[in-house]
Amino acid sequence: MTAGQTPTRQVVRSQARRTGGRSSTPARDDLYEPDAYGRELLTSLMRAQGGACVTVLLPALALLALYPLLTAIFPWLATAQLLGLPLTLLILGGGIYPPLVLLGYWYVRRAERLEQQFVELLKER
Amino acid sequence: MTEPASVIAIIAVTAITAIIGARGVRVARTPADFLVAARQVPATLNASAISGEYLSAASFLGVAGLAMLEGLGALWYAVGYAAGYLVLLAAVAAPLRRFGAYTIPDFAEGRLGSPALRRAATAAVILICGFYLLPQLKGAGVTLQVAVGGPVWIGVVVLGAIVTFGIASGGMKGITFVQAFQYWLKIIAIAVPALVLLAVVQHPPVTTVTGPAPPTFSHRTAVQFPQSEVISVTTTVDVAVSGHVDGEPRRGPLELSKGRHTIGSGSTITFPAGSPAPHVEANPIMTGAAWTSPLLQLGGRPDHALAATYGVLLATVLGAMGLPHILVRFYTNRDGQAARRTTAFVLLLLGSFYIFPAVFAVLGRMEAPGLYTSGQTDSVVLVLPRIMAGGMLGVVLGALVAAGAFAAFLSTSSGLLISMSGALSHDIMGGGVRAFRMSAIAIGIVMTALGLAVLNISINVLVGWAFAIAASTFCPLLLLGIWWRRFTWIGAIGGLILGGLASSVAVLLTIVGVGSSGWPAVLLSEPAIWTVPLAFLTMILLSLATPRAIPADVTQQLLALHLPERVRLPSAVDRGLVSQPGPAAS
Repeated sequence: MTAGQTPTRQVVRSQARRTGGRSSTPARDDLYEPDAYGRELLTSLMRAQGGACVTVLLPALALLALYPLLTAIFPWLATAQLLGLPLTLLILGGGIYPPLVLLGYWYVRRAERLEQQFVELLKER
Repeated sequence: MTEPASVIAIIAVTAITAIIGARGVRVARTPADFLVAARQVPATLNASAISGEYLSAASFLGVAGLAMLEGLGALWYAVGYAAGYLVLLAAVAAPLRRFGAYTIPDFAEGRLGSPALRRAATAAVILICGFYLLPQLKGAGVTLQVAVGGPVWIGVVVLGAIVTFGIASGGMKGITFVQAFQYWLKIIAIAVPALVLLAVVQHPPVTTVTGPAPPTFSHRTAVQFPQSEVISVTTTVDVAVSGHVDGEPRRGPLELSKGRHTIGSGSTITFPAGSPAPHVEANPIMTGAAWTSPLLQLGGRPDHALAATYGVLLATVLGAMGLPHILVRFYTNRDGQAARRTTAFVLLLLGSFYIFPAVFAVLGRMEAPGLYTSGQTDSVVLVLPRIMAGGMLGVVLGALVAAGAFAAFLSTSSGLLISMSGALSHDIMGGGVRAFRMSAIAIGIVMTALGLAVLNISINVLVGWAFAIAASTFCPLLLLGIWWRRFTWIGAIGGLILGGLASSVAVLLTIVGVGSSGWPAVLLSEPAIWTVPLAFLTMILLSLATPRAIPADVTQQLLALHLPERVRLPSAVDRGLVSQPGPAAS
């Protein structure tokens, strides 16, 4: 680390939380202990969050990757029309966005719930 | 041609931006500024600001222009630009906010503890922002040309000068409210004209768009050639000419024979109703079926379309997280949860915006085939209102899109120049306001000169390259830095250098014309398909080979990334989680 040289970086954090948000959660100190327990907690948290990340990205990946693949395999799909408009226009020009937005909102709720569970787990100790 | 209403609209947008900026706080360049903002900015306003800074010339002009030129498959760019925020949301937003670093070099050094890595990341910031700045300048050139006439380079120099002066004088601020205002201006400026034009369109679109023939002029059309072009005429046609054809000055009727013709710059050729639109020789003509294909066709050619589509998707989806001027904005979020909510809302705002470029692409193919003839498809959003709606309505809508386009260049190029100047002055020149100003001026001049060199390349293709380089450098750095314990600074530097070099060399080779068809064209002009895996592999293998370089405090750094704020100790700094701000911090 370069303590003396350039002003490297500092944590940007809301003032409001620093003064007001001191919850009394004694178990949180365990997290900072460099022992096996702190590491275990971190691993479980990262696993849960990483799992949520993958479960939201896999459907999105399938949506984005499968559509071009299917049209390459089935050429009729590339020129198909629906309601008098090219299917391509309906999908790429708008239809693909609502599922992506919904996946995003679903992930936000899921991630917040996971964090809530984690906090409660710490309190139980 | 001169459009006074558009000129007034452009000047008004510039003035409003400068005025709102000048009355606000200093540009958010220091942690203190972010602290001020973080207390006040709700997620919806913050999301508008991020979207405002993100929607650039590529989104406003480029997507519609490229989709008109190369077919609807080019809409994958827009899909990728938006979908990138889903990856950013799920994998990056909250941890990065919690970590508290507010630039990528800060993150890299803080997480892996290497000043050398910091310098490599700084170089990548300048490279990515530079590639991103070029198309903004070209977009300004096209917009001013449509509004005022004259050559494209004038607009490039004008925007370069405005932004450089604005940033260097401290008069153009990247504050949240300006950027949020720019988002709403941009979506109104594209949505209202699109909806009005859909209402005035006279025949069912699908017949002309999907038909087998090349697009034809539905009525007598005067096509203007701001630049000299070689066009390919498919059937002999009687036209009226004013200007130069095949090197000879012409005025009056002319039989334009089948074959190729060179049209001089500044010429006007009037085609009769019902004649097929000739096309610029470099861009092959597409049938309706080819044009509506959902695969991306580079230069309108169908070779290896699936690989090209995946290449663009990889670059845009993974590149969105690596844009330095956007990531800075995440620190105006209050905490990690707010960062997530903001990002989800950005996805909604972007998805809503990208419906409209598609409308312009379809209407452009139907109603403005002359743009294929003059090679000016990038200006479709700007010229379509006046082509389709006559009289006052056309003038007003034309002024509206000109204002929206200029807002796009101003907001994005200001953000980019601030990021580049900040990185150069802080990390290389030693910091300070004077260094920042000198960096801004130097970068502004160099980028404007470079902008003049790429005027023939589609706006959207240029932006796609910036995303490809970001995806090949910062995407693996962020993902591995946030999620992988065994990541080392040696692996990070190796991947940054190899990914950055490979992708930028591929792009430069494409610009100088190496590999114009087949696999070389796909692999060089859509490099992300191989440079992203290359960068990931390099980082992973080098990290595994250097386990002793894993930072001693890796557990604490990962806790700083992933721990919800509610269970944090009051100050992570006290615990030595992150480096202390030096006494000389400005």
